Amino acid sequence: KKLHPIYTAESGSSSGGSWVSGIKTLIYVVYKSIRTVVFSNKLNFLLPFGPAAILAWVFFLSLVGIAPLAERLGYATEQLAFFTEPTVGGLLNATFGNATELIISIFALKSGLIRIVQLSLLGSILSNLLLVLGCAFLCGGLVLQKEQLFNKVTAVVNSGLLLMAVMGLLLPTVLHYTHTEVYFGKSELDLSRFSSCIMLVTYAAYLLFQLKSQSDQYVSLNEIEEGVDDDKAPQISKWESVIWLLVITTCVSILSEYLVDTIEGTAIALNIPLSFISVILLPLVGNAVDHASAITFAMKDKLDITLGVSIGSTTQIALFVIPFSVVLGWIMGQAMDLNFQLFETTTLVISILVVALMLQEGTSHYFKGLILLLCYLIVAASFFVHDSSAGEEKN
Amino acid sequence: MDYKSQPVSGQSQLEMGALNGESVHESDDESLYSPEKETYNCSIPKIERGSSSGNSQASINVMLRNVYKSIKIVVFSNKLNLLIPFGPIAILVKKLNGGHAWVFFLSLLGITPLAERLGYATEQLAFFTGPTVGGLLNATFGNATELIISIYALKSGMVRVVQLSLLGSILSNMLLVLGCAFFCGGLVCHKEQRFKKETAVVNSGLLLMAVMGLLFPAVLHYTHTEVHSGQSELALSRFSSCVMLVAYAAYLFFQLKSHRNLYEALNEDGSSIEEGSNDDESAEISKWESIIWLFIMTTWISILSEYLVHAIEGTSIAWNLPLTFISVILLPIVGNAAEHASAIMFAMKDKLDISLGVAIGSSTQISMFGIPFSVVVGWMMGQRMDLDFQLFETATLFITVLVVAFMLQEGTSNYFKGLMLILCYLIVAASFFVHEDPSQGDDNQPKT
Repeated sequence: KKLHPIYTAESGSSSGGSWVSGIKTLIYVVYKSIRTVVFSNKLNFLLPFGPAAILAWVFFLSLVGIAPLAERLGYATEQLAFFTEPTVGGLLNATFGNATELIISIFALKSGLIRIVQLSLLGSILSNLLLVLGCAFLCGGLVLQKEQLFNKVTAVVNSGLLLMAVMGLLLPTVLHYTHTEVYFGKSELDLSRFSSCIMLVTYAAYLLFQLKSQSDQYVSLNEIEEGVDDDKAPQISKWESVIWLLVITTCVSILSEYLVDTIEGTAIALNIPLSFISVILLPLVGNAVDHASAITFAMKDKLDITLGVSIGSTTQIALFVIPFSVVLGWIMGQAMDLNFQLFETTTLVISILVVALMLQEGTSHYFKGLILLLCYLIVAASFFVHDSSAGEEKN
Repeated sequence: MDYKSQPVSGQSQLEMGALNGESVHESDDESLYSPEKETYNCSIPKIERGSSSGNSQASINVMLRNVYKSIKIVVFSNKLNLLIPFGPIAILVKKLNGGHAWVFFLSLLGITPLAERLGYATEQLAFFTGPTVGGLLNATFGNATELIISIYALKSGMVRVVQLSLLGSILSNMLLVLGCAFFCGGLVCHKEQRFKKETAVVNSGLLLMAVMGLLFPAVLHYTHTEVHSGQSELALSRFSSCVMLVAYAAYLFFQLKSHRNLYEALNEDGSSIEEGSNDDESAEISKWESIIWLFIMTTWISILSEYLVHAIEGTSIAWNLPLTFISVILLPIVGNAAEHASAIMFAMKDKLDISLGVAIGSSTQISMFGIPFSVVVGWMMGQRMDLDFQLFETATLFITVLVVAFMLQEGTSNYFKGLMLILCYLIVAASFFVHEDPSQGDDNQPKT
């Protein structure tokens, strides 16, 4: 078993060997750690793109470079979750699950690129809802040739939460669009900040609901995972997880900074609307890993896990990352609000309705997946011809 | 549009499966093609044998008899066909320079029976083809009337009329036809009726996808956020139309091939209808007769549609009604009259799946096939037909689809649901009565 070398090495060092052997074991530990974390995943061959990005073609290379880092970040979080209590572990997953989007948003906020924050988060939701879920249903249905079932209670709860998030976005948008706010230019911001706090409270309550009632509703999920995970034990030690977490987060941050700085230039250079890049291209890469794992699980007939990945991620972004960005902007003094402009908000409303309708039955077949996928095509095409610079006065 | 009430074979109508004539073709699997010879008319085979052996005089007699028999079956056997003479009268009125309104009204009346007979001919033809081709036939010709009217309107550049009439057809099918069916079924059967909700959910999903396809160009245009003003919605509409046509093709495949079990009609106790009761369901006219009649009906409908389309604007001025009201409410009521009747009849016989197939299936067909097809046809003709139906119309469609999706998602119906749908339709009709179309004057010019 992999565990043994590490623990024997550690016990070797604690048994008070000489100073030299202590360093040797440390190097050995580091080597083992690197081998486990960096080289064990095929996606990591994309890692060199990161440093290369600093030299040229900054946007695309950093985009590609972030993909493996995002995956490793998820891996490190998972590993760390083994060592903490289930509650804290769940919280960790809930917070760092979309760490990439969070980090990109933070950097964009710092540069005052509020519109990009809004668009990239929106794109992440749309991509998870339509693209990832659609592909999963389609592949699962085609491979398994049968109708798959999933726990519709959780799907319905998530749909409700998503609709609540839509409400939080819709009201400031419509307020702005109908020019009926009390203090022009100020009201939507105040409303957005208030709504964000409420949405964060909701998210906290949702976490509580999820973790506390894990015994009844999420039993199916656990039972499945139990069987699969029996041989799944932490592969790296606790402190290694924490260190790797920090290392990868730093790398992601560096690349994100480059990404954010070059996004506008890329839009002009390639003559593609900024909205298309932010809404469609960015999330494609950011979610690539979620995408792959969701499809894999669907093909293994573990549709509940797929739903957890895609819909859970969506709920997380809608109810946590978006309000969190607003609050963060509040702290930073940036005027980030929930007014995503009418077109984007409309897109979100109709997408959530389609998905809610598809999920409410608790069954899936390939045709539902195809519908969702084709809807995503239409959405992508719309953003391709959409100029999102928000012609009106946006601070 | 798929299941016309044939007076001859009333009860056996129940075999006309769920959505698009699907299990009609299942019955084909069982009774294949042999019954056709023995059932429809014992005399005809003898006549055919006679013609192959007789001399030319006898064969002309024989042909005349065939034609007479055919006409008798197709034309005279349906009470609705009393309205057929109105067609030629309409043409006459137009030639005599009668008022536009009269031409409109008469051609509208004249088209109704033809639409019904067209459906009948399609059904008959479907007996002779395989289940798949039959299903495809029903799927395409199911709304042939609307398609033909749209093509003529497109040729005249009346893009707005096309959009409004197709929209009206969807609204009428979803609210009026379905509402009446639920209402009458609930009142007559005095109980809660059930239907397959899986198919209803899939159809609702498709309708929402169609709404999405319509919503984005409309909102894009409305918020003035398109990249190339005036060009973007058109390009987006054309792309979305292709996507929607692909979805419709996949839907046909899904319906006819891979998930056929979902589309078997339910008996009262929920079990599938057995094939045994299909035996007396067979073609009434021969294959070639079906094809010929199909062509004749289509030609007739085309001629009358041309008159209809040219008279529509004059009518709106003469009757002092908004053009939108005529296109959205009046046109479809007549165009759908036959489907309306059959849906209600099936609901009253407690065969709600068939009613749903007629109503919702027709809506899905128009929204996922009729509308994108018009866009593509307009593309080929060089007409600027796009999916921007303007905000008011798109909002109407959106809320209607939501209401219907919610009503259907349970899989049960009662008279009250039907009543709600009918009253919703009344509200929609009233809204269009007072709706002034902003682009009304631009019908023959490029859209702004």
